[in-house]
Amino acid sequence: MAIPVTAPQGSLTAAPAGSPPQRRAARRAGSRIWLVFVLPFAVPFVAFYLAPIGYAITQSLLRTERSGGIFGQPRTVFTGLDQYAAVFSDPVFLSGVGRMLLFGVVQVPIMLAIALALALVLDSAVARLKKVFRIVFFLPYAIPGVVAALMWAFLYSPQLSPIVNVLDAVGPRPDFLGSGAILWSIANVVTWTYTGYNMLIIFAALQAIPQALSEAARSDGAGGIRTAWSIKIPIVRPALVLTGVFSIIGTLQLFTEPVVLRLISTNITSGYTPNLLAFSIASGNNYPLAAATSVVLAMGTFVLSFGFFRLAQKRGWS
Amino acid sequence: MTQLWRRRTLAALAVAPLVALAACGGASTEPADGAAPGSADCAPTGGPVNLSFTSWVPGVEEAVTLWNQQNPDIQVKVNDVPAGNAGTYSNLFNQLKADTAPDLSQVEYDSLSSFRLQNGLVDIAACEGVTDAQAKFVDWTWSQVQLGDDGVYAVPQDTGPMALYYRKDLFDAAGIAPPTTWDEYYQAAKTLAAADPAVKITHFPQQDANWFTGLLWQNQANLFDISGDQLSVTVDSPESRQVAEYWQKMIDEQLVATNLQGFSPDLYAAWNSGTVATWVSAAWGYSTIRDNAPDTSGKWAVAPMPQWTAGAKNAGNWGGSTTAVFAGTEHPAEAAKFALWLNTDPASLEILNKEGGLYPASSDAQSLPALSTGVEYYGGEQIFDVFKAASGEVDTDFTWGPTMTDTYRFLSDGFTAALNGQGTLTDALTAAQTQSVDSLKAQGITVGG
Repeated sequence: MAIPVTAPQGSLTAAPAGSPPQRRAARRAGSRIWLVFVLPFAVPFVAFYLAPIGYAITQSLLRTERSGGIFGQPRTVFTGLDQYAAVFSDPVFLSGVGRMLLFGVVQVPIMLAIALALALVLDSAVARLKKVFRIVFFLPYAIPGVVAALMWAFLYSPQLSPIVNVLDAVGPRPDFLGSGAILWSIANVVTWTYTGYNMLIIFAALQAIPQALSEAARSDGAGGIRTAWSIKIPIVRPALVLTGVFSIIGTLQLFTEPVVLRLISTNITSGYTPNLLAFSIASGNNYPLAAATSVVLAMGTFVLSFGFFRLAQKRGWS
Repeated sequence: MTQLWRRRTLAALAVAPLVALAACGGASTEPADGAAPGSADCAPTGGPVNLSFTSWVPGVEEAVTLWNQQNPDIQVKVNDVPAGNAGTYSNLFNQLKADTAPDLSQVEYDSLSSFRLQNGLVDIAACEGVTDAQAKFVDWTWSQVQLGDDGVYAVPQDTGPMALYYRKDLFDAAGIAPPTTWDEYYQAAKTLAAADPAVKITHFPQQDANWFTGLLWQNQANLFDISGDQLSVTVDSPESRQVAEYWQKMIDEQLVATNLQGFSPDLYAAWNSGTVATWVSAAWGYSTIRDNAPDTSGKWAVAPMPQWTAGAKNAGNWGGSTTAVFAGTEHPAEAAKFALWLNTDPASLEILNKEGGLYPASSDAQSLPALSTGVEYYGGEQIFDVFKAASGEVDTDFTWGPTMTDTYRFLSDGFTAALNGQGTLTDALTAAQTQSVDSLKAQGITVGG
């Protein structure tokens, strides 16, 4: 990567020009070029990603003590892993995690199956339709999460929703915001938003399959479905694994949809998702516990996505 | 691709502990939070002074403009923000930590204690004119800003004395008078439901734990008790249980709507369609109904809050704000002067009432022309007479805890279970009691029995 810098040819005749200090300086300047390429990434990455994580880890090891009565002077003291013990013994946190795991087990496979199916259909469609549908399917992802959640909130609303009114006319009145349904109403919003995004990744992988492979399959007598099953899907497995990892991360970080739907549903508690719980705890000025909750959530997300990744590698999916 | 992902992850893992160590080093040298601002001296700094003021009262800029014209030496700049619990309090707490907080801010009564706990408030008792101003305010508002000791931690701005907003037309049609006791309110709910099963007497808002607290306040169900250096949590008390059991009965018998969140478009639709017939709410609620249920103009009326004992006169309070001087200001005297003017000057109070719809904490201002005439939406009735009376019936001893955000959150979480039949409101109180104790301990506060 670093370009070797040599002294100019003419300098051979002039004895002092190639003196050791000068050459070293030249080499140093040359070896610093990589910084120009790395710093624009590294500086923000350290400042806005690693440093906050480090700060959160520090905070999570502290506890507040107070001397001089109720409104006395606070000071923070090192408390080891006490906050982590509190996180793992908090039934609200554990039930939030359980809820997210249930959500992920159901929602992620459904979303990826739809994304894969759409990508396969798009891949075999005529060229002109491809462009249109690619944009149409991707459009929900371009809508900000809060706006999407607000829009769905309107469609779920028991008093205002046209959908509820129509369904009410043909059968029993649906309750999208009830205690049993709300999790799946959120899952629906997430699926609607991210299916197109995942489809695009899979679609890009499909586009990279050499034409010759498909032609060979066709000349061997394989139909569209057979080609998709035996040729295309195995080849795009790495893309499926990647979208799987992204989806697992997204599931555990679920926040926007419950926060918005909470404005109209009476069934979303302050610890509905682990991310929402960390936020709620921080709002109450309990930063050490909020930090510990966040760190546990981050580690959990890391373990799950990395675990899934390793599993995929072991099985030869990627 | 896969290799790159892996390498990056490992690199990030390798670096993270280093940063953590560096941050650790920083934490130990961090200076202790500024010494609690004392009230010993509050001398004006003199010379031209610039103050920043955070508020979410609509139209407050107009009052500040008037001040700036009259006080060229003390210029105030307003930061217009969303309501406190909509994120502003979190921002203010962070600003206090970062030493970038404004000189003054709007703070609701229930959050004053939390700000004091985070060393965010200046005791302005020694500032000129502050203690003398006590006489200008409704009694209970002054005890609210004293936070149980001799200090003065804010200047009262507005209040939310509670009363009963009800659909007069529906009550008349069912042949019932406005209920004067909670028992009559329960009977009215049954009568209304008998006439039309779709009609609920009110909604039980899951997120509005501060509404429920207003109901507790009426029944002298003090959530916290501070005596000297001793803080006790009394969220779960016989008085609070009486309120919880009553509303649990309303939920069990399906007399209240359990699927309508407060201030939601769904609630407003239900008001407009007449399926929710009353709202026990604060003085400021008059504009909430007026602006969101235009179809029912002229059909609403206001009666005093139903009582637990026939003939008693107790009102709750829901909401209301103060103007607090924040720690870190270099000009406490000037800031206090502005806070007093904003909330006692007749011209300012008129602007705040007209533009912001505030129901004033100042006794004199309760006789403002706008508050002593008929209100068109309410059939031309002088509804503010009811609130003026209610304001005088609010218990002066009600004490807020220093971690109210958490207590409200615990109550709301408990309400969810009660509303969908997986628990009761009494369970919500019991849980909020223990959880609040834990919250206080997390802030390093010793909690008494």
